[in-house]
Amino acid sequence: MKLHLFISLLFSSPIYVSFQMAHRLLVRRIWTLSVKDLRCLLASTSSFSTSLRSSTTPLSFLSPKHTLPCSLPHTSRREVSFNVQDHEDFTERVINSALPVLIDFHAQWCGPCKILGPRLEKAVAKQKGKVAMAKVDIDDHTDLAIEYGVSAVPTVIAMRGGDVIDQFVGIKDDEALDSFVSKLVGQ
Amino acid sequence: MAALCRVRHRWKRTNCIQLLTRNLTGTFDYDLVVIGGGSGGLACSKEAAQLGQKVAVLDYVEPSVKGTKWGIGGTCVNVGCIPKKLMHQAALLGTALKDAQKYGWQITGPISHDWSTMAEAVQNHVRSLNWGHRVQLQDKEVKYLNVKGSLLDEHTVKGLTRTGKEIMLTAKNIVIATGGRPKYPTHIPGAVEHGITSDDIFWLKESPGKTLVVGASYVALECAGFLTGIGLETTVMVRSIPLRGFDQQMAGLVTDYMEAYGTKFSWRSVPKSVDKLSSGVLQVTWTEEQTGKDQRDTFDSVLWAVGRAPETKTLGLEKVGVKLNKESGKILVAADESTSVPNIYAFGDIGEGRPELTPTAIKAGKLLARRLAGQTNELMNYDNVATTVFTPLEYGCVGLSEEEAESRHGKDSIEVYHAFYKPLEFTVAERDASQCYIKVVCKRGGDQRILGLHFTGPNAGEVTQGFAMGFQCGATLTHLKETVGIHPTCAEELTKVNVSKRSGLDATVTGC
Repeated sequence: MKLHLFISLLFSSPIYVSFQMAHRLLVRRIWTLSVKDLRCLLASTSSFSTSLRSSTTPLSFLSPKHTLPCSLPHTSRREVSFNVQDHEDFTERVINSALPVLIDFHAQWCGPCKILGPRLEKAVAKQKGKVAMAKVDIDDHTDLAIEYGVSAVPTVIAMRGGDVIDQFVGIKDDEALDSFVSKLVGQ
Repeated sequence: MAALCRVRHRWKRTNCIQLLTRNLTGTFDYDLVVIGGGSGGLACSKEAAQLGQKVAVLDYVEPSVKGTKWGIGGTCVNVGCIPKKLMHQAALLGTALKDAQKYGWQITGPISHDWSTMAEAVQNHVRSLNWGHRVQLQDKEVKYLNVKGSLLDEHTVKGLTRTGKEIMLTAKNIVIATGGRPKYPTHIPGAVEHGITSDDIFWLKESPGKTLVVGASYVALECAGFLTGIGLETTVMVRSIPLRGFDQQMAGLVTDYMEAYGTKFSWRSVPKSVDKLSSGVLQVTWTEEQTGKDQRDTFDSVLWAVGRAPETKTLGLEKVGVKLNKESGKILVAADESTSVPNIYAFGDIGEGRPELTPTAIKAGKLLARRLAGQTNELMNYDNVATTVFTPLEYGCVGLSEEEAESRHGKDSIEVYHAFYKPLEFTVAERDASQCYIKVVCKRGGDQRILGLHFTGPNAGEVTQGFAMGFQCGATLTHLKETVGIHPTCAEELTKVNVSKRSGLDATVTGC
């Protein structure tokens, strides 16, 4: 009886639950990483497991942005949705992206952008890592926005292999967005 | 020839080589380079580009003392007309909310204003305008450079980037439209360190709190007006007279309304020093001219609105030979906006004797572009320009003030018609309309041509605009009286004016 209780307690304890989640996350991350990255990741799993044991804050290895101990190749930062930092970052993570990318040109002062943003995130998340989303604040990156002919916001550009495949301006509903994103991934 | 070209870049500053290459090539980088991307500069550059000229516009905002900076568009868009009118509207809405209850609206609980909400909304709108301007420049194929421009010679402009990099541009014609910036009273200890100006007020993230506004220009009164309107304790410190240059009777009505509205006025006072106390508040000491006594009070913010200075110091004007007015520091310009240097022009706030207004700068800029492209000979007409002061009780006017008309034509040669009226909307709201007033200054006898028209009341800008067109067409008192009014409006009272000041009769308008 006592043992049964102990085991059920153990398996429902926060540490065990977080271990489960971390394991699931790790598996998901390995799935999406390249072989090269995997090699690097496996090399670091020893430190990973020690951090697991000694960690008092389970959240430290639950965060998707957890930086792994070894320095990974720059193309392996696989956040599905990210904010573009500068021109170099744009070249690296958007133009040279292996995945097709949705570029969301938005502005702080743009009301419709705040509506479209979450809808885009949802549509992108549904693709489970087959497409990435780059967010460009046009006030911070005016030259980039002008370069891509953005005049009104929100403007969304679909890019594959550095080429503009499709684009739209304004808000779309969830259905229209899903079809737009599927088209980008599908072809 | 090839050797010369290679050498050119190294010997850029040697005039003879420059002259040589220019003669050899005969072309400049641009047909027109405009220094200053404000109301005037943008209008001029876009018009020129539309007419087929190769144009570049240089815009750079030197941060204010407090560090405030903004995007393209100049004073009007970023730290002037636009944010001012929006905040004025915020204040008017506060008054409307109070009136609303008399009109039956059930408003439960006390009404309060949150500065951050208003400021963010205003700032977001301004940012959308900055973006709009960028897109327009791109569409109209005007090259935009975010650099601080200065003149090296009459055809060469140097641009300095934020990071200190230098670029050179040559141009057939150069236009200076750099405008002005608020002055700081640098002789007052603590003024620069602790005070802010209109450059900063619209970009504050947090409420300025209890504010002292020093000055009595329209900038001072408009700012003090909306600060009071949103519920902040505000004091205006006036050295001599309010709204210098405007009709003084009308200026008095404006300040009377503000005092009744809740703004404190410290008349005939001059600030002496500003100190920051340990609690963070600012202690201001000032002298009352009449008594000679010193007074002291604490404020959260001190806003200096004591005049604007032209942006000419870093332009390199002296070197090139562009003459300035010694007193004002503004560029001396002819009727066609030309300066003392043949191919250099200047207009907008920077021009000596020009009104410091956006619409005149825009129109002058467009006409200048057309003249430079050889499309027209038309000069800008700076007469009969209507304006409005957006104080809590707005004041709109076109033409001469009563004093100016008297001085030009003589008191006996003019007739002043006037009326005190009450806007219908004030009645139910039980609002005091003592300062709602109309004044039409005409020539006495003959066709009684209208020399000046003055109006205080709600929506003064909207009311005055239409009458300004009549004024431009040379309207007479007869024209005005022959115009049938729209009822019920405040504007119609202008068409019904019939009591002259000379008659001494009561000018209060009675019912329909």
